[in-house]
Amino acid sequence: MSQKVVLWLIGMTLLAAAYVAATMLVGGDRRALLVGRTTDAHHQIEMACETCHAAAPFADAATAERELNETCRNCHEDELDAAVDSHPRSMFRNPRMASYWEKLDARLCTSCHAEHRPEITRTGAVTVATDFCVACHSEGDEDIRLDRPSHAGLGFDTCATAGCHNYHDNRALYEDFLAERAGGPALRPEPVHGPTARFRALERPAGMALGRGDAVAPAAALADTNILVQWAGSGHAAAGVNCTACHADGLAADSGPAGVTARWFEAPSTRACRSCHEPQARSFARGRHGMREHPGVAPPRNPATGLERVGLSRLIPEIVAGWVADPVPPARMTVGEARLPMRADAEEHRALDCGACHRPHDVDTVRAAVEACTSCHDDRHTRAYADGPHHTLWQAELSGEAPPGAGVSCATCHMPVTEGREAIAVNHNQNDTLRPSDKMIRPVCLDCHGLEFSLDALADADLVDRNFRGTPTVHVESMEWAVRRSAGDEGGTAR
Amino acid sequence: MRYRTFTIAVAFAVAAGTAMDAAAQEMPYPRVADMLYRVMSADREVYTRMVVQRLTVDEEILTASEHFEDEAALPLPAQMFRFGAETVMDNTEDFSYALLSLDPINRNNGPATELEQAGLEFVADNPDENFYGEEELGGERYFAAVYPDRAIVEACVNCHNNHRDSPRTDLEVGDVMGGVVIRIPID
Repeated sequence: MSQKVVLWLIGMTLLAAAYVAATMLVGGDRRALLVGRTTDAHHQIEMACETCHAAAPFADAATAERELNETCRNCHEDELDAAVDSHPRSMFRNPRMASYWEKLDARLCTSCHAEHRPEITRTGAVTVATDFCVACHSEGDEDIRLDRPSHAGLGFDTCATAGCHNYHDNRALYEDFLAERAGGPALRPEPVHGPTARFRALERPAGMALGRGDAVAPAAALADTNILVQWAGSGHAAAGVNCTACHADGLAADSGPAGVTARWFEAPSTRACRSCHEPQARSFARGRHGMREHPGVAPPRNPATGLERVGLSRLIPEIVAGWVADPVPPARMTVGEARLPMRADAEEHRALDCGACHRPHDVDTVRAAVEACTSCHDDRHTRAYADGPHHTLWQAELSGEAPPGAGVSCATCHMPVTEGREAIAVNHNQNDTLRPSDKMIRPVCLDCHGLEFSLDALADADLVDRNFRGTPTVHVESMEWAVRRSAGDEGGTAR
Repeated sequence: MRYRTFTIAVAFAVAAGTAMDAAAQEMPYPRVADMLYRVMSADREVYTRMVVQRLTVDEEILTASEHFEDEAALPLPAQMFRFGAETVMDNTEDFSYALLSLDPINRNNGPATELEQAGLEFVADNPDENFYGEEELGGERYFAAVYPDRAIVEACVNCHNNHRDSPRTDLEVGDVMGGVVIRIPID
């Protein structure tokens, strides 16, 4: 090898090392350094490494791992609490559980959800083997087969894959819940999603509705009759929300036309939506559509801080430091970034803000409930919706042939109306009932279907693909076992 | 439920703070554990007597159930105790505790270490005494104390004697049902 080649190689190596050091310690796009493809959803925030990797550079491995696992809770703690997590981290942190730590360290989220490991990543970002339950439930007093003879011939790889158990969320799967609901009908006599029906029945405050003549906007905007008509027929106009509420945020009540024109801006941000729809915005930021708005996502690093860390803060001019600034992540997920199948005619650069589903002037919730979804998503389940029974019901509700809440739109199941003590609202986290899909049973399915049918239907992947056209060909036996055990017929080893 | 567990956590945090201050002043581990236990025991007894027993048995206004959220019922005293223990584990590793039994309804609440086995057997045989010892878990050395846990009211024995998973159905008020195990890492 010639001396020139060797010098080139040394030079290139040093340059590469300098690039890596600069991006790791100061700033810059680090996506080229990713050690493996990021899991679905997390890929949206992969340029914001500190969202997950919160430990300082060169922290020891134990600290880095501990910090890493703390950050999971920044975004996922609420859903674990809502799920009444059946394997809470706090249970495993008690030292009396030390004998389990070596088998499967459930104190750490990363024991089952390792990131950047595409070769072993399964649905739900799970990276542990499917028979993971064997670690703690197969030996000694904890052997599940001791008091559940029905489980004697079952493989541990079926616990969480056959529709019987979930690691975190068993609200619709625990024994007493199953036993109490055994024998329910496949379809209830008058199937209606209760929260949706009550949501539709909400009455707007009287005397607030606005008409076309009430619109307050600059003359040029008022000249667009299409928009004016859309707005006048919208829920916003019915609720007394004038143009200036979104287009002239902070406008004083006594502002005249000049004031309106001065404060007017053409394209309001989602902040304007959030100012009135905070619960919806909060739930939106918890799902894949809106997760880039989640407050847990780390902001870009300040290069000055990095330069100070390496002792170069006074040697490098600010403008040079700016060259190695972190890229600012896009504010919104775009259709082109989706990893699920998307329609070829969906606009790749279409950003998923509120207006993507709710057109800003007519805020048509009917369109947002179906057409907005089907205009982008292109998987078998979505394509089959139009031929499925849920769509038929949706059409019947829209035509008035079926009562409010009887129709089943995409949103009915994936963004269900939920009722709290003080409010009733659409859950805008469209993943909330999908991780895993059994989570849909209680807030959605059971309003119209029996539990047994629901379990079977969700366990039948083909039926799900056909958007429930047909009947389940899979049967989850856990209900029969729960009934037998509840009746004392299950037996088991005396202790 | 979260507010209730938070309140418990705060109460324990105050108690734990006092106890850990005592530890910092080189108070013997048994004394620190005894102080922690007194707070746990008092809260547990108050909840059992003044809430569960009163509302479910004496006045028959509510029920207590392990599925309290679904049934709009009161959490069982053992659940309240566990929620408190788990909330503490979310906030500190300075100490830990658990309510265990040689005859647990939930197998996970049976003895998991040799010391737990020995301690639970000791308090079962000696209901008026505590058990103290040391053990190594997960590479760390711990002081451990085991305190007898008695059935203090009728609600305790009713639930345990009638639960389908209970290995023991002959409990009477006053019997030792298990023990509270408190651990403190040894510096």
